[in-house]
Amino acid sequence: MSDSKYITLVSGDGFEFVVLREAALVSPTIKGMLRSPFVEAQTGRCTFPEFNAIILEKVVDYFHYWHRNQDKEDVPDMEIPVEMCLELLMAANYFNLDAKPTPRD
Amino acid sequence: MSRQGRQPRRIVGPQSALTDFLASHNISAYQIHLNADARRRAARDEQDEQADENNQSNDQASEASEASPATTPAVTASTGPTTRRRRAAAAAAPAQEEEARKKEKKAIDKIKASKKFQKRKRGLESEDEDDLARALLQSSAPLPGQQENCESCGKRFTVTAYSRNGPNGGLLCSPCSKELDKDNAAQKKKPKRATGGAVGRRRQLQSNILDGTYSLGAKSLMTLCIETLAKNIDLAEDLGDLPSSIIDKIARKLSKHRLLDSRTLSLFLQPTAEEVRIYDGAKLSSDDFIRIFQTVPGLKKLKVRNGIHFKDQVLDFLMTRNIELEDLYLHGANLLSKGKWKEYLQKKGHALRSLRVYFTDLHFGDEVLALLPTTCPSLTRLKVSHNQEVTGAGVAAIGQISTLRHLSLDLRNEVHSDIYVDVLSKIGAGLETLSLTRVREADNTVLDAIHTHCRALAKLRITESEEVTDAGFARLFRGWANPGLVVVDLQKCRHLDSARPRDNPDAVGLCSDGFRALMAHSGKTLRDLNVHGCRHIAVGAFEDVFSNQADGKVYEAMAKLEISFCEEVTDFVVGSVFRSCPNLRELNVFGCMKVRDVKVPRGKILVGVPNAKGMVIEGMDDSDDDEEV
Repeated sequence: MSDSKYITLVSGDGFEFVVLREAALVSPTIKGMLRSPFVEAQTGRCTFPEFNAIILEKVVDYFHYWHRNQDKEDVPDMEIPVEMCLELLMAANYFNLDAKPTPRD
Repeated sequence: MSRQGRQPRRIVGPQSALTDFLASHNISAYQIHLNADARRRAARDEQDEQADENNQSNDQASEASEASPATTPAVTASTGPTTRRRRAAAAAAPAQEEEARKKEKKAIDKIKASKKFQKRKRGLESEDEDDLARALLQSSAPLPGQQENCESCGKRFTVTAYSRNGPNGGLLCSPCSKELDKDNAAQKKKPKRATGGAVGRRRQLQSNILDGTYSLGAKSLMTLCIETLAKNIDLAEDLGDLPSSIIDKIARKLSKHRLLDSRTLSLFLQPTAEEVRIYDGAKLSSDDFIRIFQTVPGLKKLKVRNGIHFKDQVLDFLMTRNIELEDLYLHGANLLSKGKWKEYLQKKGHALRSLRVYFTDLHFGDEVLALLPTTCPSLTRLKVSHNQEVTGAGVAAIGQISTLRHLSLDLRNEVHSDIYVDVLSKIGAGLETLSLTRVREADNTVLDAIHTHCRALAKLRITESEEVTDAGFARLFRGWANPGLVVVDLQKCRHLDSARPRDNPDAVGLCSDGFRALMAHSGKTLRDLNVHGCRHIAVGAFEDVFSNQADGKVYEAMAKLEISFCEEVTDFVVGSVFRSCPNLRELNVFGCMKVRDVKVPRGKILVGVPNAKGMVIEGMDDSDDDEEV
């Protein structure tokens, strides 16, 4: 089955986010899930019961922000609302958005 | 404000402080005045119309009564502006009317003669002098005090010269104008983003390159979060159960802004932790340091930078606890006395595996070092940096620590090479790290001792020696039974002669032969090479080393190369370096004046190019990247 250009991320409270596959692959976690033997790879649908829609939305936001800016210099920082900073930090840790993401490998 | 509305530039006499202040903020008092005039005139016209409808004769009276305050303030003091309309409506007696008309005539004449009028006449080019004069007369009527209903909230308020117009042309009371201001401010702020223009951006870019934070693309989400968190650390009460690696990152970020104090320290003290790293303890008191030991009973590794208040009483407390530190890193703890150091080592030294002491002047000296071999039987790492007290005797004592694997010294006192040779002959065989910073008198005998005794070295640093020679380096690296080094720092090992700087008849310092031998021995494993200021390495040596990829001279491991102030380095050498070190991330070429115009491959950083253009990156087009990556 040829991979679709988009994948679906599902939050713990049931919200679905359709994301550009290429953008979501910045996360090694998602990349791992989409490798062939897993159900996620066949359905293109990843469920994250750990996160609610608000956090996941921000993460998805970041995926696209990263995707948009991956070849640019001096990128303006993405706004992080202070109140969700810690939760987002947890999410960043979960999604392995840690070190410098390697653009396209 | 429109250009026409502005008054032509003129020389003025002394002004009031307020006018000066407003002018400095580009607010013209004159303009405000004109606006108020216009408004007043509009209000007047409207009122006139109304008055016309009601009673033709009232008009004149009302005008006169309004005009009077300007000309004869004493008279109108009793007749307040609030009574104006009532009086107008009451239809004054004809005699009074006559009197008022006279008054007005008089006032108009006076105005006509005034300078202000002449100026105004020129500006407005009005034909009818009387009209103009009357307008002026009205405008000089005191607006403050006039009452009006606010357009937005309908409340009655006193009009001032600063009252603002609402969206429908009416006047606003001051609370409502503030609301309006707020809305406007919000609109104004948004589009204004600090880009700093092209120069500012380029400057920021160069700054990032020097900071080592330069990278293509967006920051990682974690970095973004940590930065936000650091900015708002006051709001955080508890970091929750974040992994310790993240907590460490937050700690580093905080120290950058010197934000760690008694309050924020608690965020980083997790009772279950084995390691506490304080990157900037400048604001912590002795009690705070004691609190670390109270909250983290299982502490094994402690790192404190700028721990000024890490004093005797802190060590005293530590000695009363069951905490046995394995790793102690103290930076700037200058208030610890010699006696306390000795006491601590005797009591708790047996557990120590790593001891690193930075920036001390008086109390960490030979006597303390002399204790180490007996009190610390499992010490593997010893670093004494920026120390003013340790002399040769102390260094000689280090030779007795047979377990040592990592030795790093940066002393202010000169230590003779014989002592280093002695130490190396005793413990050199086991050493993995040997770092001798600023050893002016170290000579070839030290290099020979390394060659003879060291078999496990991975990191070698010998800097600022003025005695070692090229032949010494060549002897060290040729046929050395030590496996390839990973980190080499030989910066500023060079001949110094201010009279004839270019001549180096005795081949002092790292020159061509030594460099060739070094790269032949360790090139495959080297990750980080620093030959900063070794300016007698000839261009031929660089070319031999870096431009023969065909012969297999490719340095896969090399990530960071520092060749600043190597005068012979050319564009060709830099290009060759990029070709022969595929995994290079950063190349420093400060002071390499022959480097002029190099294209830097994507993802690599060239620092210190001596031109204003900075680094030029090759292959900006997206199509190129795809092929390259």
